[in-house]
Amino acid sequence: MPENDEKSPYGDNAEHVLVVKGLRRTFGAVRAVDDVSFTLPPGGSLGIVGESGSGKTTTARIVVGLERADEGEVHVRGRSRTARGRGRAHRLARAREVQMVFQDPLLSLDPRTGVEAALRETLRLHFPDRDHGLRIRELLDQVGLGTRAADALPRQLSGGQRQRVAIARALAVEPAVLVLDEAVAALDVSVQAQILNLLADIREQTSIGYLFITHDLGVVRCVTDDVIVMRHGAVVEAGPTAEVFAGPRHPYTRLLLESVPRPGWDPERIAVARRAL
Amino acid sequence: MNTPSDRPVLEIRGLRIDLPGTARPVLVDGHDVLALDADRLRALRTGTAAMIFQDPRAAINPLRRIGDFLTESVCLTGTTTVKAARARAVELLEAVGLDASALAKYPGQVSGGMLQRVMIAAALMGDPVLLLADEPTTALDVTTQAEVIALLGKLRERFGTGLLFVTHDLDLAAAISDRVYVMYAGRIAESGPADEVFERPRHPYTAALLASTPRMENPRGRLAAVDGQPPDLRAELTGCAFAARCALATEICDRQAPPSLPAPGRPDHKAACHHSDRLGRTAVDA
Repeated sequence: MPENDEKSPYGDNAEHVLVVKGLRRTFGAVRAVDDVSFTLPPGGSLGIVGESGSGKTTTARIVVGLERADEGEVHVRGRSRTARGRGRAHRLARAREVQMVFQDPLLSLDPRTGVEAALRETLRLHFPDRDHGLRIRELLDQVGLGTRAADALPRQLSGGQRQRVAIARALAVEPAVLVLDEAVAALDVSVQAQILNLLADIREQTSIGYLFITHDLGVVRCVTDDVIVMRHGAVVEAGPTAEVFAGPRHPYTRLLLESVPRPGWDPERIAVARRAL
Repeated sequence: MNTPSDRPVLEIRGLRIDLPGTARPVLVDGHDVLALDADRLRALRTGTAAMIFQDPRAAINPLRRIGDFLTESVCLTGTTTVKAARARAVELLEAVGLDASALAKYPGQVSGGMLQRVMIAAALMGDPVLLLADEPTTALDVTTQAEVIALLGKLRERFGTGLLFVTHDLDLAAAISDRVYVMYAGRIAESGPADEVFERPRHPYTAALLASTPRMENPRGRLAAVDGQPPDLRAELTGCAFAARCALATEICDRQAPPSLPAPGRPDHKAACHHSDRLGRTAVDA
């Protein structure tokens, strides 16, 4: 894995909001995640790209705490997340550090809970002593939902509105890191553009860091500062998004970039190159 | 190439469009599918028109072997013997880059990209003249997508199959199709040769879609999103369906549905917009 040796990226954990070091995870004989390391500065945006089975989603799940790593460390704001949670307060504090937005809000939102109630539930769990009404209005406003949406059930909303609700719920606990796992993949382009612009606004207003898991390279280029390219569980290339996309070094990164449909696109040649790699 | 709201009308029920008030025939290979009875419709689905769905995991029975899935339809309709069907299945599996060993496997034992290729092979079992593909590569990553698209192109050449490809990926549509129809709220907003539609859009909706696509070539940063949402299709639409979200809309747009008119000098390129000519100018100015 390419290392950024001069900057000594893992020396000063406090400088980065998220530090991931030497993650490994195997499922049976499959090495799903193989020595993956990266860092995310406050307010930064890091893309993880790679094909299905490259380990990007497993990496994200380890960062969030939905999956356990065999080896390696995850630090958020300088605190380790590797050890098991001790007690309710500790687990809740850890959940507040990293939040996740999934691909399909219909599956990640409770179909019987209205928008306002879903937000209230999260707020009550994490901040039992605060005034929630004000914060709920603030959150809805932040994600561009009107008060009319507050009473709606997920199925009464459009796909884009539902994803706004999922983002609002993730933002409710004021996380340091937001993990977006293919969060705009299911939306059609005009709605996707609205959500991507919304995410850019939120990043400007807060110092939240994004970990963007996607296989859409156009999206990565649009919303991330840095990118890592994963293949077979390992990082094959890492660097600033603009640099990696302008001058890819690894043949797999080149293949990925060439695979994006565009005028003069030759899928046949890509298919041949893919099998050769 | 449209919002989910209008896709089902044409595509999901693609082999049988049950729209009340549809008076005109829908001809597939000369047969009016709206007039066919159940048996003949079934024969049409077996041998004339076949469909590839977006999610192979949802479309293929996980409890049956891939071989059974491939041969089931042709065997059931009695168009061929089991033995001939299996031979044909092996031939098609090889055409899509798999081999006979896949026949004995269950869907859960192969990857999503491989299973999508199985679905393509299954669609070709009855030698269809028309292949309907509804977002067949949306669930796949870009390299697998390129492979599946290359395969569809090759099969089109080899078997002479027509391809109707439904997608919301504009660049993909531009790359693989000869003609493009852009739909909005159940209506065709624009149609024409793929390169003309994408290079010189004549409908503001097409232009907006193109502007809101995150692309490798465009500058980074904010996208030109279209505000608002598609209209509620349960309500009666007067005027242009896109008027409420359109920057060019004037009073006539709310009052009168625009007819589909060809572009000057390009009879093949049609758009249903009162202000197509203004759009052409602003695009050039910008």
